[in-house]
Amino acid sequence: MSQMLEMEQPAAKPAATAGESKQSRELFRALFHRSPIGTYIVQNGHFRLVNRQLAYILGYEEDELTGRPSLGYVLTEDRDIVRENAVRMLKGECAQGYEFRIITKQAKIKWVMETVAPVMYQRKRATLGSLIDVTERKLVEERLRQSTLEIQRSNAELEQFAYVISHDLQEPLRMVASYTQLLAKRYANQLDGDADEFISYAVDGAKRMQTLLHELLDYSRVGTRGKPFSLVNCEHVVDQAMANLKIAIEECGATVSYEVLPTVMGDEGQLVRLFQNLIGNAIKFRREEPPHVYISALRRQNVVTFSVKDNGIGIDPQHSQSVFEIFRRLHTKEEYPGTGMGLAICKKIVERHGGHISVQSQPGQGSTFHFTINMAGGEPA
Amino acid sequence: MISRPARRSADILVVDDNPGDVRLTVEALKDGEMQNSLHTASDGVEAIAFLRRKGRYGQAPRPDLILLDLDMPRMGGLQVLAEIKADGALKDIPVVILTGSQEIEDIVKTYDLHANCFVTKPIDLEQFVRMVKSVTRFWLTTLNRQRRTAN
Repeated sequence: MSQMLEMEQPAAKPAATAGESKQSRELFRALFHRSPIGTYIVQNGHFRLVNRQLAYILGYEEDELTGRPSLGYVLTEDRDIVRENAVRMLKGECAQGYEFRIITKQAKIKWVMETVAPVMYQRKRATLGSLIDVTERKLVEERLRQSTLEIQRSNAELEQFAYVISHDLQEPLRMVASYTQLLAKRYANQLDGDADEFISYAVDGAKRMQTLLHELLDYSRVGTRGKPFSLVNCEHVVDQAMANLKIAIEECGATVSYEVLPTVMGDEGQLVRLFQNLIGNAIKFRREEPPHVYISALRRQNVVTFSVKDNGIGIDPQHSQSVFEIFRRLHTKEEYPGTGMGLAICKKIVERHGGHISVQSQPGQGSTFHFTINMAGGEPA
Repeated sequence: MISRPARRSADILVVDDNPGDVRLTVEALKDGEMQNSLHTASDGVEAIAFLRRKGRYGQAPRPDLILLDLDMPRMGGLQVLAEIKADGALKDIPVVILTGSQEIEDIVKTYDLHANCFVTKPIDLEQFVRMVKSVTRFWLTTLNRQRRTAN
């Protein structure tokens, strides 16, 4: 530090006067001793000068540290890290501070971050070190990492749970459905009217439950049976979705158009499903006039926002969040058939692709669904 | 020209641990035009005993068709399939996988093991009946045609 102050003196000027030199020393002293950063000078591996903050971090008095080997306060298994990084930084190979653990006088372990610089001290080569206590941040990071792991694990478990439930419940339910149907088939009109009615409700209930289980299985498969991401041309994806919806599109005279769509990293099958559900909804929830669906994409840095706009019946804004929940229906089965799983599956697919989905709509004025896809292919796991 | 299936009684082995499913298959085949004898095994171990005429199956006939479930206790369908297809005396018996599974992996695995056909048990009774009938008719007809050609 004193070395640097001296170097900034223009070479042509005469040597500093005694007064100036006293001023620099005082300035250095104030900077050094009042600094909120642990600061010290090490020569031949021993502390030559330490400030109050360093002593505070290590839990000693300043004079207890002076003359002691500096590495002695570093946790044994972290000493190599310190040596390696200090050498690299002194050579100017890296500028980023490095982290390691120290032991305080009270035998407490703390995480610290250090930077070092080569200096001259009392005409000999020395190292000027600066060190801050990062224990608090490390703890928070560790806690965050733990809870992220926890969430990932519990999500995976939930998905597995939903999958097993819907998969394993199919078998017994198939029995209920098959045998009530067999009853209905073989004994229709042989029992009284009540019996026929009861059987028909049982058959209907079993069939509906099968549909729901099937949808639930489908939903859980988005997470458990997804394919690894690859480059996917979204125009091909929309064409494929439209081909799958060919009959529905033709029946109601719908027009589906799109502008130039980008190539993204994703699961092609799932992206087809996503567009198919959104276009399918646009056609299903139409007004009297033939449906028009318009798909566009806007790229901003690494994120593409897709918009699927229709001229359908629209959605009351109070439902704009809940439409994405599983089994959420806004209409009776008589008005519009379906189980209310389509948009929930859309949401799950979008989230697996690191994006989010929302809808903008007013009743009677069409809806626009927006969703984002991260170009970098940010699949969580 | 398509020849009519011969009116010989065919032996069908149904391997399934769920009696409800076995009964449904029986019901489905009951009112068919073909007179078939149905035999049942409730898991893989029994199926193999039947096929190799072990223990109480000493007099068991050689089946013309096997309908095989995948998910069973003791020995599952995949293992039974592997044993049948590795056995020179059994490998030409057509094996139809009849299962509740719709898993692509299961389908791929069974074809890797040379299953002749993979069918997911339909949810709807009518479809189930139609499926069982058409699958058995197809394989028994094919079999009869092959036999006649061989003769």
